[in-house]
Amino acid sequence: MDKNSSHRLKRRWLKVAHFIGLFLAMLVICMPGLWIVLSSLRPTVEIMAKPPVWIPRDISLDAYRAMFGGAGQGGIPVWEYFRNSLIISITSTIIALIIGMAGGYAFARYKFKGKSGVFLGFMLTRAVPGIALSLPLFMIFARVGIIDTHFAMILIYVALNVPFTIWLIDGFFRQVPKDLAEAAQIDGCTRWQAFWQVEFPLAGPGIASAGIFAFLTSWNEYALASQITRSVNSKTLPVGLLDYTSEFTIDWRGMCALAVVMIIPALTLTFIIQKHLVSGLTFGAVKG
Amino acid sequence: MKFPKLSAPTLLLLPAIIVLAAVIVLPLLFSLYSSFTPFRLTKPESIWVFIGVRNYVSVLTNYEFWAAFGRTVLLLTIALNAEMFLGLGLAMLVNKATRGQRILRTLMMFPMMFSPVLVGFQFKFLFNDNIGFINNALQSLGLTTNAIPWLIDGNLALFSIIIAEVWSSTSVFAILILAGLLAMPQEPVEAARVDGCTPWQTFRYVTWPYLMPFAFIAMTIRSLDVARAYDIVKIMTDGGPAKRTELLWTLVGRTAYSDARMGLANAMAYISILLSILFTVYFFRKLAAARQQIGAEW
Repeated sequence: MDKNSSHRLKRRWLKVAHFIGLFLAMLVICMPGLWIVLSSLRPTVEIMAKPPVWIPRDISLDAYRAMFGGAGQGGIPVWEYFRNSLIISITSTIIALIIGMAGGYAFARYKFKGKSGVFLGFMLTRAVPGIALSLPLFMIFARVGIIDTHFAMILIYVALNVPFTIWLIDGFFRQVPKDLAEAAQIDGCTRWQAFWQVEFPLAGPGIASAGIFAFLTSWNEYALASQITRSVNSKTLPVGLLDYTSEFTIDWRGMCALAVVMIIPALTLTFIIQKHLVSGLTFGAVKG
Repeated sequence: MKFPKLSAPTLLLLPAIIVLAAVIVLPLLFSLYSSFTPFRLTKPESIWVFIGVRNYVSVLTNYEFWAAFGRTVLLLTIALNAEMFLGLGLAMLVNKATRGQRILRTLMMFPMMFSPVLVGFQFKFLFNDNIGFINNALQSLGLTTNAIPWLIDGNLALFSIIIAEVWSSTSVFAILILAGLLAMPQEPVEAARVDGCTPWQTFRYVTWPYLMPFAFIAMTIRSLDVARAYDIVKIMTDGGPAKRTELLWTLVGRTAYSDARMGLANAMAYISILLSILFTVYFFRKLAAARQQIGAEW
């Protein structure tokens, strides 16, 4: 065998190995999710079957019908949880975006004393573990009397989202050249007009993705919600998921169905922002 | 009325500062105070009794606390390293792919969309000793005849939790490192190859230093919410069996809400907060250093 063909053979082997590696990695990534979806469509008997039933014989949407029909299976008020989740996530996202835009703009466009210190300080507030924060919040909110309300959760999620929103929006405003706003000001715009008519539209997609990111954080949060929410009044979906577990048994099928309901909005939204999210986080990674 | 004139950036940052002060800093100050009292939820007047550092002493001399502390550090070390390596590997694999990169990138982000609660629940389901996918698969393939008690045996449970944690967070690293790979200039790599570097040398001395800042961004983001492990553990084992998977955060939650000993729990919480902050500051500084190095070299 001459050198050329052995080299070619080696390349082909590498290609096959690469393909197999990629395939295995993607399988590991996707398998758990697909298994949940499949389990939500199967009757409980089949999930529990021993020896396992690998090829589903009986596919139906019963679990979803039970979940959204009236009081739902086992009386779990999924509709209420869904509504609470939506109200809390959307409101807190909008407020966090407004505050984050102001903050991000300040970091991107102004030089002031202790800038990196303030930035790090903002980030550190995010590093406080939810469960550690929940203790004092629980005591204070109980005293003020806003435990188990939408207001309390919205307030918490705004604070949780502001630091990260500022990080992202700061990155997006930096990508908009400073000259553009200056040119607009020379042409007679006020600073305010220059912001809304030039810089805001250019950073728009990035800001939208920061919003989606904030929405997802609130949508998925559990540690704080599980302590501050107590009843149907304000329980969110992640907390509601636990309603399917009782002392000794777990309704796996119902839980899988609720999991699918939770993941679909997250899936769609992440899909929309994926490109902007990465560019917002890494901007300035190299240029500093 | 006369207001002192505030500069523009102060004015713009004010709302953020007010919100963070009200919802995070003030409560933390309050919990700092209450960590010096024997406060119990059932005895509200106990908040006014000052007992100095007795809570901290009893926390620091508590074996259970140190066991949880050690376990948390162990879990984080293993999980973060594994996530880093797997994320790097995944990013390189996807970067090498000639076709379907968009689809691969989307698939890669799949675990990022899962809330930690869902991750915990999903792996609790997969690792279930009786009906779980893993045991079913192992048994159907004939690799084992009896059910492996993944979440019931202490060591296996910790292992299962690490798997869940790694599955859910590897994609953060992969996505950001891939962004670095895509943004990287190709000339230095080609120059290295022309100069006769082996692929390993090219990677080690050319590609890797360039990827460093991206890896540190991922590390910083991860260290901002290392406590997401709380959700996963809470769902999968709730600290059991026999406290063999108890982490700092689950211990805090249990002391505060089940035992209602808020003062003691706050003392523990403060130690865990310091741990998180240490992590974050460390990686933030690493990020700044790596950035500067790159800036000097390229």
